[in-house]
Order: sequence, then structure tokens, then C-alpha cells
Amino acid sequence: MRKITMAASIAVLMAAMAAIASRAHAEEFVVGAQLPLTGTLARVGAGMHEGVMVAADVFNKGNSKHKIKVVTVDDESAPAKAAAAVEKLASEGAIAITGGYGSNNISPASDAANKLGLTYITSGGVDNNLVNSGRKNFFRINNTAGYEKAVLGTLAEMGAKTVSIVFSTKEATSDLANSVQKALTAKGVKATAHSFDPAITDFKPIVNKIRLQDKSDVILMVGYENDYVGILRAARVLKPPVKALIGVWSLATPKMATEFPDLMPNVYGTALLPFPATFDTADGKAFAAAYQALYKKEPDYLGQFGYVQSMLLFEAIARAADKGTIKKGGVAEELRKTDRETLIGRVQFGANGDNLNFVHRMAQHQGKNIVIVWPASNATGKMVYPGKPW
Amino acid sequence: MTDLILQALYSGLLQGGSYALIALGLALVFGTMRVINLAHGELVLLAAYIAYTVESGLGLNPAWAIPIAVVVVSLTSAGVYGIVSRIRKDREINSLILTFGIGVIMTNLILLIWKADVRSTSSSWLQEAFVVGPLYSMRGEAVFFIVSLLLMAGLWWWLSRSWYGRALRAVSSNREAAKLMGIPPARTELVSFIVAGMLAGFAGVALYSYGVIQPAYGGALTVKAFIITVLAGVGSIPGVLLGAVLLGVAEALTVTLASSALQELAGMMLFLLVLFVMPNGLLGASRRRG
Repeated sequence: MRKITMAASIAVLMAAMAAIASRAHAEEFVVGAQLPLTGTLARVGAGMHEGVMVAADVFNKGNSKHKIKVVTVDDESAPAKAAAAVEKLASEGAIAITGGYGSNNISPASDAANKLGLTYITSGGVDNNLVNSGRKNFFRINNTAGYEKAVLGTLAEMGAKTVSIVFSTKEATSDLANSVQKALTAKGVKATAHSFDPAITDFKPIVNKIRLQDKSDVILMVGYENDYVGILRAARVLKPPVKALIGVWSLATPKMATEFPDLMPNVYGTALLPFPATFDTADGKAFAAAYQALYKKEPDYLGQFGYVQSMLLFEAIARAADKGTIKKGGVAEELRKTDRETLIGRVQFGANGDNLNFVHRMAQHQGKNIVIVWPASNATGKMVYPGKPW
Repeated sequence: MTDLILQALYSGLLQGGSYALIALGLALVFGTMRVINLAHGELVLLAAYIAYTVESGLGLNPAWAIPIAVVVVSLTSAGVYGIVSRIRKDREINSLILTFGIGVIMTNLILLIWKADVRSTSSSWLQEAFVVGPLYSMRGEAVFFIVSLLLMAGLWWWLSRSWYGRALRAVSSNREAAKLMGIPPARTELVSFIVAGMLAGFAGVALYSYGVIQPAYGGALTVKAFIITVLAGVGSIPGVLLGAVLLGVAEALTVTLASSALQELAGMMLFLLVLFVMPNGLLGASRRRG
């Protein structure tokens, strides 16, 4: 008995020493997170940051050989500070950058990363110039084309003949609205565009033009949360004779359903997952469990995008470390070889760093749920059409 | 087309009422003390977040937040005065820098406490359509437009008829002479900040009741309020209403007749045009009362 106890103790001791030794040998890499945690983009920046931290948590728990330490710098939603944030992160030893929100902030930040030879990966900017300006180490997992496909696919399924496009004059929103208008016109759909300054709060004059002049089947809103609330409120007051209201990012979210229950019924918006969310893959389940544990709430799309971009980066770092190419541009090289199914679908990067396969999904607020209605292969329910919030 | 223009005029009028309510507090402090309180937008925003807390936490209509918002924002405004009053030299320029700093601190405190999410009322009553013939608005907009008019009338009366109002104007005209007349300048200035805080309290609750709020929104509110204050003519309360309504109508007509993307530009063009033709503002010094 004494011998058995002794042997067991030695075994436990050896196992513990082995674990300590392996931990001691786990190579730690610093990854910089440059995000707007204050300023006008604070909400979206904070959402993406949650995804970054969840990715680090999941990666570190499942990887004994390599560890990731995330260092975050707030870029205050300002382009100049975004570039300074990347330089600060580089000085703190970051070997790559994840994050960035808003094409105007990502552009100078990724330029700074490019000069410093750091890999930069994002999901926060859809401006096409980001991938067409010769940045060698720049990667992006989403793009305007993916949103455009979702909008056009949904409109085609609805059979809309006339569409009023209400869009913010910001770069990303203008790009998407112009692309959609061009594509709709080419298909013979009458598309009338109404641009608006991001500072405006009263949308009644625009919606009144749609009500009295456009008389469209569908209103397509390309803006941000505050714009959607303003447009939907104006529409609720003026009740234009439309059959559907579609938005893009930040609209088909559980938060919007909870905060604005009178405005959201039957409204469409892009979404990766239905609500309540269901995760079928091991990666998805790991993400959801870690997210719940860290933040005690349901994950949203910003968290999912932040998670995917960061996880792809961390995996590329691990592969480059294994090959000993970290300091020889190995991280970017490994990212270029990425071909993997993720929470946002299959990701492969083209020569310019853009995700070749990105196609968003369209969801609709139905009661307290968010139902994926396009494409058919991912649909979790049928669209309610015609359907308005009033 | 007539319907479109009528609606634009109506929307502009209501929007002007909202702008006027936001600008009143700033105009009061600027008119009486020549201090541009760059934290004014954040004071309005603080009241809006108090309304959000009352609605989301207690399940009450945001209008019930008015007493709390008025008290909290007035005290905060008094605190701002407490700091500003310590400036001994070049008060006009130094108060500008100081209140800007206070505004930044307040924005970040709001961000820390209420997070960065977009907030707005979920009250169906306030969002319901209020229809007068061919004119449409939200019920909240119409209600707070009337509140705005009442507050402006009350403020004008207070400034022109009450002892403190007259004392404020006396201090504004000649601080030393006012002292000789037995008016304590520091106390009257404190009163002006407290009244400005009360007005910001109303404005914030109104803003939350028909608009959308975010922590970074304070700066934009201050800029809009400042434009209206200058447009009005320094110290003119009726001028604030006139300037705000002109701005609101110009913006709404631009959206209707041209493009909504030009709305802000139209506002700034109007601002420059008025200053070019009437450097003292719409109701500047020569016709000022109140």
C-alpha cells in the first residue's frame, strides 16, 4: 500500500513538473488590438474587442505550445490616433495587429503597420481602397461585395420593382449604396438614392419624399444604428406605402430587438446567426461558451467577426512560429495560405488580402426572434413579405 | 410638391424648437457672462441619460425624469461654475479651454457609466404619430416644442422682470457698476449657471424622448447650440428661437428641395450669410431685450 501511494505521488509530481515545464516552454506572442473604445465608434469597437479577447482565451486554452497576449490601445475613433496606436503597439512588442473599425481609421493604421512590417487583419472596414492600395500585409475577412450579394439576393427573392436607397455619406455606406444602385439599375429595378449627412437626426423630410414621390416597394437603409432608429421612427410616423424595410450592419441584432421593440418587427438586416443563436460546429460552440463565460451575454455579430479575424491570425502566428518564420514575414505568408471554415463561412485570402468567399446572410426580426431568411442554404425560416414595423 | 414643402416647414419648425431648447442654456451663460460653456452639450446629454435610466430602470415615461434631471444637471452646472469661477485672468479664453476639458471628462464618465450603446426612448406614446391635416410629427416632438416655447417665454420674463434676471443683465453690462449697486456678481453668475443647467435638464429629457443619444454626441450638441447663440445675437432669447427655427427650416427645405447630404452645409451657409449681413446676429445688441 505504501509503495502504491509512493508511486502514485511520484507520478503526480512528474505530471505536474511536465505541465509546468510545458507551460514554461510555451512561447508567448504579443498581438496588438487597435480599436476605438471611446469616441463615436466606441460601441462597435468594444463589441469587436470582446471577440478578440474571446479568441485569445479559446486559443490559449487549446494550445499548449504557443500563447497569445493581447495588448489593447484605444484609437479614440480618430485616424491620427489609430496610426499612433499601431506604432505604440509595435513598440510594446506586438508582432501583428487585429482590430480597427471604420475604413478612415483602418487606412492610416494599416499603413503604419505596413511600414513597420506588421501583419494587419480586420473586419471593421469595407472600403475597397483598403485592399487595392498595395498594402502587403493587410487582410480583411469581410467586404462590400459580400453585403451587396446579401442585399441583392434578398431584393430579388422579394421581387421588388422599385427601391429607395437611404444612405449615409460616409465612405463605406456610400460605396455599398452606389454598388447596389448600379446593380439594381442594371437588372431593371428602379432604384432612387437619398444620401444623408451623418449628423442629421430628423429623417421625416426624406421619408416623406419616399412616401409622396418614390412610392417604392422597399426602403434600403445603409447607415448605422442611430440612423436606422431615425429612419424607422420617421417611417412609423409617415407610413410610406412600402412592403419591406431592409438595413445592413448593426440592425438584425438582439440588442436592437430589445431596445426598440416597436420599431423592429419585420425589419431586415444582415446577420451571421439567428437569435436565439445556435452553434453547430466545435469552433462555434467553443466561441459561444467562452463568450458567455467572459461577458455573461449572448454573442453579437461584432464579437463573431472579431473572434474570426483574431483566431485566423493566432493560428497563422502558431504555424509561422513552428516554421521559425515569424521574423521573416511568416505570419502574413501563413495567413495567405488560410483556407478554413469559420463562423462567417469559408475564409480564403486573395492576393490583395481580401476574403474571396465572403457572402453575408440576411435576417428578419420576427417577434422576439431573428430569423435568417437568405440565402436559402442558411435560412432558418421564411421571410414575412410584405411586412412592416407598423 | 406643396405637401412636401409644408411638411418640410413643419419638420423644420419642430426641429428648430428642439435646437432652441438645447441652445438656451448656452445662450444664457454666454449672454450674461461671456463664457462659452463648451461642456453644455454634455450637460444636455447627462440629462438624456438620466431619462434613459429612469425609463429603463424604473419603467417610467421619460418625462418623469425631468425633476431628477433638472436637479442633477443644475448641480453639475453649478460645479462647472465653481471651477470656471477660479479663473483669475483672461476668463473668456481660459474658460473655453477649461469647459472643453470638462466636456471631455463628462463624455468619458458617461461612457463608463452608460456604455457606448445607442439609446432612445421605447415609449410608444411619445413615438406615436401626431397628425394635423397633411402635417406629421411624433407626439414627443410636438409636446416638447410647446415645452420649449414655454421655457423660452419663462426665461425671457425672468431675465426682464425678476430681480435676479435684472441683476444678471447688470453684471453682464458692467460688473463693477453692478457691485456698487449691491449686486453680488459671483452669486448672480452662479444663478445663471444653475438656470442654464435647469434648461439643459429639460433639453436632455426632450432629446431622449424623440432623438437618439450616444456618449460622443455632446460635442455636436454644443456646436449646434453655439451656432444658434451667435446667429441669435448675443444675449437675445427671442433671437435664439428665431435663429433655431430658421436653421431647422433651412435644413428641412434643403433635404426636400435638394439633397439631404447638403443639410449641414445649408445650415452653415445660413450662419455665415447672417453673420455677413448682420454681424450682431439676428436680434443683436440694438434690438436686444432680455
